[in-house]
Amino acid sequence: MTTARRIAFVSPRFSPEGTVGGAETLLKALAEQAAAAGRDITFLTTCAKDHFTWNNVREPGTETVNGMTVHYFPVDESRDIEVFLKHQNRIDRRIPLSREEEEAWVDNSVNSPALYDHLRTYGDRYDRILVGPYLFGITLKVARIHPEKTWLVPCLHDEPFAYLAVIQDLFEQVGGFIFNTRPEQALAERLYRQPSAKGTVVGIGLEPFEADASAFARKHSITTPYVLYAGRRETLKGTPLLTQYVQVFRERTGREITLVFTGSGDIDAPDALRPHMLDVGFVSEQEKHEAMAGATAFIHPSVNESLGIVLLEAWLARTPVLVHAAGHVLTDQCRRSGGGLWFRVYPEFEEMLSYLLDHPDIAARMGDAGRDFVLREYTWDAVLRRLFQAIDTTP
Amino acid sequence: MNEEPEITIGATGIDTEALVQHLRETVARKQAEGVYADARIARAERTNLLHLRNDEDFLAFYLQSLREAATVDINDFDIRERRAGVGPLLVRLKKTIWNLLKFYTYRLWSQQNTINSLFVTGLESMDDTYKTRLQQLEARIAALEKDRTSPPAP
Repeated sequence: MTTARRIAFVSPRFSPEGTVGGAETLLKALAEQAAAAGRDITFLTTCAKDHFTWNNVREPGTETVNGMTVHYFPVDESRDIEVFLKHQNRIDRRIPLSREEEEAWVDNSVNSPALYDHLRTYGDRYDRILVGPYLFGITLKVARIHPEKTWLVPCLHDEPFAYLAVIQDLFEQVGGFIFNTRPEQALAERLYRQPSAKGTVVGIGLEPFEADASAFARKHSITTPYVLYAGRRETLKGTPLLTQYVQVFRERTGREITLVFTGSGDIDAPDALRPHMLDVGFVSEQEKHEAMAGATAFIHPSVNESLGIVLLEAWLARTPVLVHAAGHVLTDQCRRSGGGLWFRVYPEFEEMLSYLLDHPDIAARMGDAGRDFVLREYTWDAVLRRLFQAIDTTP
Repeated sequence: MNEEPEITIGATGIDTEALVQHLRETVARKQAEGVYADARIARAERTNLLHLRNDEDFLAFYLQSLREAATVDINDFDIRERRAGVGPLLVRLKKTIWNLLKFYTYRLWSQQNTINSLFVTGLESMDDTYKTRLQQLEARIAALEKDRTSPPAP
């Protein structure tokens, strides 16, 4: 066995201050913890901050962040967005693409030739290259440079992109995989028929915290029980479903309940619900934790999650969760932890939320079970042990 | 609202598998009693991505949703404004604009409703036709396979 001492992490965006996408947050956290554990970490990323425009807003260059060397490279601005969107729309609609069209989609996705040049020139400096998530041009092209020592952190979802031939190739090329959960690993094995030995479930570590369960309601003058959603508000995240369900729940049961949102994006909600909805936008970590601790339930209606970090945070706040049963990863987490329930359709949602409201003692025990689960499975010690086990191998 | 389930208390707390099962049985019983026969639920279910994953039911669900959404309400509606202070002024302004545009928008939306309805009817007709054809083909294949596996006549 060899120790991978010099490790390059690659992701499309990097924010020294904190919040970017879930996969990017995961890679940054893994890199920081590996650096703190004494590994020599370099982080390769782009100058972009916004995942819609991909404009180069930072200056290219290098800085040191939490013990890591971070190199920023410009995004290729010559990409043809029309070609990219044309193919992307066809992929979304599951219209088969030729190999050339798939490659055109990759070429016009988010790319950084300067980053690729760096890896071609200085690739020998790294024992391992960890790159993700799977559906960006950067990930696909980085994996082609030194495939034998590249470990993919795919954050894989069961979605049309996962079925492309170029993605199949990506999974065949790389030396190994770092998965977030067992269902994600199972999905990869089903789609790409890769030996399970090539993949390891690592996940992310979380720092335990204590939060005042009454602080959030006090600060925002909430006098009713409330349920919470934290994160981006998008159709695929299930937020329109959540607002519809909560409105129908209020109308049918006559129960006063407030729906609280943290995070970013417009909220698609019925007008009648708006007076009973609170959108606090981005808040500090402490306030988010307080919001979680005081909620009757944390609700995560997304059907496409590869980990669900906010779910784990809600459990650390001792709050039970309600998730969509079609989200296999979140449902699996609930089953294993005993910290949450899973609904398929509205009637189940109504029964489950009513149950949690009517049985606060059982809800509290579910929250405790969730916290025990996170402390058992998602401490940094446990996560780093699994990570190093995965990458400290002889190729 | 819920009958008390028998819950096994294990080392990790609650047996959520059993609890979910119990709550689903409660839902099934209530559904049979008509407790959930509610148009509001049907509307809310339109946003449930679960329906988009079940290929067999997807088209039927999609067509049903399309049929419900095809005809938009083109009548007058209550114009409201939540902002205090300038609220009444804004309401009057919006009503004036609405009255000026109504002649044009009414014709436009009526035409759109007609197109939407024709489109849905066409889709439903195609669905019926192909469903029938597929059923006939499946029945024919089943009959042919049965003939092939039957022992030859003596």
